[in-house]
Amino acid sequence: MQLKKLSALALSAALVISLAACGGGGNPSEQPSDKPSDNPPAATQEITLWTYPIGKWGDQATVEALTAGFTAETGIKVNVEFLAYGDGDDKVNAAITSKSTPDLIMEGPERLVANWGANGYLVDLADMLDDEDKAEINAAALNACTTADGKVYEYPVVMTAHCMAVNLDAFKAAGADQYLDLETRTWTTENFIKAVEALYAHFGDTVGAVYCTGQGGDQGTRALINNMYGGTFTDAEHTKYTWDDPLNIKALEQLKSMDGIAFDASLDGGKEIAKFYQGVLKMAFCWNIAQQLDPNQAGTGAEKTITGEEIAFMAFPTESGDPKLQGGIWGFGIFNNGDDARIEASKKFIKYMADSAATVDAVKAASYFPVRSAAEGTNLSDVWADDAIMNEYQVLMPYLGDYYQITKGWAGARTEWWTMLQKVGAGEDIATTVATYAEKANTAAAN
Amino acid sequence: MRISTLAVISCFKRGVLILPKHSQPTMSKALQRRETISGYSFLAPSLIFFVGFVIIPMFICIFLSLTDANMHAGTTIFIGFSNFAKLFKDEVFLDALWNTFVIVVVSVPATCAFSLWVSSAIYKMHSVPRSLFRIIFYLPVVTGSVAVTAVWNWMYDNYTGIFNTVLKGIGLIDKNINWLGDSKFALGCIILILFTTSVGQPIVLYVSALGNVDQSLVEAAQVDGATNLQVFWKIKWPQIMPTTLYILVITTINSFQCFALIQLLTKGGAGTNTVMYHIYFTAFKLTEQRGHFGYANAMGVVLAIAIGLLSALQFKLAKEK
Repeated sequence: MQLKKLSALALSAALVISLAACGGGGNPSEQPSDKPSDNPPAATQEITLWTYPIGKWGDQATVEALTAGFTAETGIKVNVEFLAYGDGDDKVNAAITSKSTPDLIMEGPERLVANWGANGYLVDLADMLDDEDKAEINAAALNACTTADGKVYEYPVVMTAHCMAVNLDAFKAAGADQYLDLETRTWTTENFIKAVEALYAHFGDTVGAVYCTGQGGDQGTRALINNMYGGTFTDAEHTKYTWDDPLNIKALEQLKSMDGIAFDASLDGGKEIAKFYQGVLKMAFCWNIAQQLDPNQAGTGAEKTITGEEIAFMAFPTESGDPKLQGGIWGFGIFNNGDDARIEASKKFIKYMADSAATVDAVKAASYFPVRSAAEGTNLSDVWADDAIMNEYQVLMPYLGDYYQITKGWAGARTEWWTMLQKVGAGEDIATTVATYAEKANTAAAN
Repeated sequence: MRISTLAVISCFKRGVLILPKHSQPTMSKALQRRETISGYSFLAPSLIFFVGFVIIPMFICIFLSLTDANMHAGTTIFIGFSNFAKLFKDEVFLDALWNTFVIVVVSVPATCAFSLWVSSAIYKMHSVPRSLFRIIFYLPVVTGSVAVTAVWNWMYDNYTGIFNTVLKGIGLIDKNINWLGDSKFALGCIILILFTTSVGQPIVLYVSALGNVDQSLVEAAQVDGATNLQVFWKIKWPQIMPTTLYILVITTINSFQCFALIQLLTKGGAGTNTVMYHIYFTAFKLTEQRGHFGYANAMGVVLAIAIGLLSALQFKLAKEK
């Protein structure tokens, strides 16, 4: 019996200890609060960064080399956690709910400004920007990182223009390369239609997919449909979703009627890229410079499919010849964990990565273009001077369109968008379906 | 007071037969207390986990379903049954509920019938082939669901999948079928994968249950001229009923909770949204929407009620049988 009692006691003790461990004994200083603490900041030696895979900011060795430079200069250690786009938002949301957010997060304004910033989880970084910074940073990029009431929830570092890509060898084989202007990287909607017809006549199968299994890479489908006849996704003030624009309906009707274009609810942006890289699809609507440099992140060489066919990046087709490309802006935000010392350390990190001589490396790691012309005397305008592909890609940058991803209710609107595409693909009436889902997006955003 | 099994075994080992309560009127209170304490101590580990991770969250879920709780800071307001009223006007939820019921109604009987059929065919085999079959059918269960799903994803692929290649090769179809992207096929494809990953455990259980059927009753029935069908229906079926009930309840719960396949393959698109996936999506993806936690919890409560009712019905029917 004595043995029994001892065993029971030991078991219970072990359980209580393990439960206590599960309960999380996090550092109280990491718990967020609505406002910064009143305590004066003391030097902190360790901060945490969560980063999405923005170019090689998703690569451990690259990021460790960058943070090592910061640590050497400041003595502050940076613990990095790498997020995936598949479940990164879930992890951040879970961290917010359990009050265990990191100090720093790296992503774009649709998350940092429109979501976490707008909901009060991030620190306003306006005090980090003096007049010189504001003059150096691209005005549109800074605007996207700033709320209507002037709070800056993201310190931008890099930007790019999302585009589409074509399999140039396949186009040549089908005689469709005549419709491409490889100098300006633009083409008309009429030529796009002719090119698809030529490709379908040659290959006899789907050559491009309006992918819609989920939100992944949906900037491609939005840009394609908006550009074809000049439709819009939101109003200019970013207060309302306007994709029920008749010009978008016209584009959807055109795409739906085309042999060679499939509305594919089994693909998202990532899978579409894979199919394009494999040579199955002859064009990809989810593309940017990072893909051009390393298609499908396969490491098999820039600008080539798996079989070595040449990939050419293109703007989306338009009637006007003036495409409006979706911008991608990435930078840092700081979670307000209520510890001024950590916030100060995080600001030092941002200053180091986004506005110092080290910014060159931070930008190159992202494989995108710097949002600013110079950083504390270091010229950033020629950061890619030694890279022919990057230089060539800059032809698209003037086509950057409105950064509307900061419109309220963005997550819900994206869901309604791809659901709407699925319904259109399944053969439902296009005008009615578009109107229904645009209304749903606006209703959800209003709540 | 119950006499513990340990105590009985202990007494047998000492050569002493312990007698039932009416024959042994007293047991010292100290001994009773000690046994009670040790009983609860051994129970404690499971009990703490059960209470901490099942009972308490269950009550939290019910409570939150009556509020407009969300992940953002702010006051959580008690809103009564508004979430439930909203649920039954929500087309997306009703679609998800319908899809979930379709999965349950198709998957549960198919899984039970198929596993019983396979088990009946293999339980009398020599142990080597019997084990081989059990391994074959159990493999998808022990293989990680991500790996299984990835393989099915390749097979279903719209452009290069083996199903389309074979069907086109033998001339059954002219154009590729978008198995996971076409609402005519997608739910069926999900059910097929669920079926293959669900039959393993029932087969193992049925093989064991059929092996334990009292052979003297079977032989007696055969001597009396019973046909194979009569032997199965009158002798074996009643004896394996507890196993059948367990399989029905477990398969029903698993089917209701179908999530990973949807998350990995279709993300709820092409008519494959299920309640479990919709709960996840509402709770963790639509975080901008007011009251999203409360609403997702209301879905959870409805799902739990549905599972409870169906399980109770199964118990009742099995009891009557």
